[in-house]
Amino acid sequence: MAYSLKSFEYFEPSTIEEATRLLSTYQPKAKVIAAGVDLISRMRHRKIEPQYVVSLMNIPGLTDIENDEESLRFGSMTTLMSLELLLKGDKTYAALYEAIHNLSSVQVKNTATLVGNLCVATPASDMSSALCALNAKLKIAGTSGERIVPIDEFYLDVGKTVLQPDEIVTQVIVPRPGSHSGNAFYNLLRVKCDVAKVNVSVSLTLDNDRCQEVRIALGAVAPTIVRAKQAEEKLLKSNPFDEKAIVEAAQTASTEVKPITDIRSTAEYRQEMVKVLVKRALEKAWTRARE
Amino acid sequence: MGEQRITLNVNGRDYDISIEPDMVLADVLREKLDLTGTKVSCREGECGACTILMDGKACLSCLTLAVQAQGKKIVTIEGLAEKGQLHPIQKAFINHGAIQCGYCTPGMIMSAKALLDENPNPTPDEVKTALSGNLCRCTGYVKIVDAVMAAADDMKRGENK
Ligand SMILES: Cc1cc2nc3c(=O)[nH]c(=O)nc-3n(C[C@H](O)[C@H](O)[C@H](O)COP(=O)(O)OP(=O)(O)OC[C@H]3O[C@@H](n4cnc5c(N)ncnc54)[C@H](O)[C@@H]3O)c2cc1C
Ligand code: FES
Ligand code: FES
Repeated sequence: MAYSLKSFEYFEPSTIEEATRLLSTYQPKAKVIAAGVDLISRMRHRKIEPQYVVSLMNIPGLTDIENDEESLRFGSMTTLMSLELLLKGDKTYAALYEAIHNLSSVQVKNTATLVGNLCVATPASDMSSALCALNAKLKIAGTSGERIVPIDEFYLDVGKTVLQPDEIVTQVIVPRPGSHSGNAFYNLLRVKCDVAKVNVSVSLTLDNDRCQEVRIALGAVAPTIVRAKQAEEKLLKSNPFDEKAIVEAAQTASTEVKPITDIRSTAEYRQEMVKVLVKRALEKAWTRARE
Repeated sequence: MGEQRITLNVNGRDYDISIEPDMVLADVLREKLDLTGTKVSCREGECGACTILMDGKACLSCLTLAVQAQGKKIVTIEGLAEKGQLHPIQKAFINHGAIQCGYCTPGMIMSAKALLDENPNPTPDEVKTALSGNLCRCTGYVKIVDAVMAAADDMKRGENK
């Protein structure tokens, strides 16, 4: 295994406009680097061989975090650790906190960015799963302007997003769940530092004894993060929303996904675990919504 | 594609060096600055052997471009001893048998240092969490946790002297 990286030219733009211009000039041979935790490893394995590397490190404002009544908004250079510390002890965005808290390496969390995690576009991303349940949106800047993409529409395939070669994600916007809402995250790993066999994130809002809104996001069961829409449908129709409805929805979720067998798990086991984790996550979110 | 001049602040000293931008910090520390105390093992972020401090936080020097470490205060294991005296964490590792082959030790100690600088009174669970990104093939971890707890006590006593 080579231990050095192939040589490249390095840029450290100081504005978003300059960064997108560099990417546009040097596409398709240019790549954005945030902390580099994922990119450097892929470059060393010769899976990506950019000739131009554009760092976002020196662009002011990209580490800003705002958390108010409307939403949680953070810039794309925000580290996992700053979010973990911010969200600790606050159940509003519990699913996101739990997804980050589960990542066991302090060193990775100290530098790695949440947006870097999203842009890798692995179907097993715990962060994409949590943010999908929380209905997050991504602010994206390119040479022709800005757009906002819901995370549901961000992924195209394994390792593929809707980002154009000149585009960067600048901010994540997570709408603040209203009253009577709860959310939760669970994943299943062989050992604590492994990649998830399955992850599940759930967010719901209650209206007395009915479920008014619900999003169930599943990771590592398809080429991208997916929602268990049939299960969600069942929960919205359930009257009353209760333990029985949760058990049925978990069963539905496990049959509506079509995972594959790979080195981490078999398709059958993944389906079975979707059932278990969806049930747990719904129960936890339900409890939180009533607290 | 050509070397680039950069300045790295390591253990309180500014180093002006010329490097290829494709060099990771661990290699620059070891090969350009001869600071070979920082170890490299997996280069994947899994083992923590390459842990150093950047602005007081434990970070992986194997997955950080050296050019991106400019303007940060970097501390390596070589920066801990003062006036020929080992740092209390280093002493505690020796006294508690928390070192066997020693390959994980610089990284473990840097993670422990980041923890104790921020939280001088950790519980054993907090020590375990802080060290969860550092693997040790030899010791079985118990003595490492003991050493960090003992170092915390030593450092408090040192301050009260
Ligand atoms: C030991 C270890 C354990 C891990 N455990 C987990 C885990 O439990 N769960 C989990 O979900 N993940 C886990 N990860 C993955 C980790 O969270 C990501 O690798 C990391 O967050 C990537 O962030 P980065 O800032 O280093 O991105 P980089 O490596 O800098 O970039 C990653 C990719 O995103 C692109 N990119 C980065 N920022 C932008 C932007 N603003 N706009 C457009 N493109 C961009 C880059 O071009 C690159 O392709 C783990 C990683 C390691 C090494
Ligand atoms: S060498 Fe850096 S984490 Fe293993
Ligand atoms: S002492 Fe040998 S790896 Fe830890």
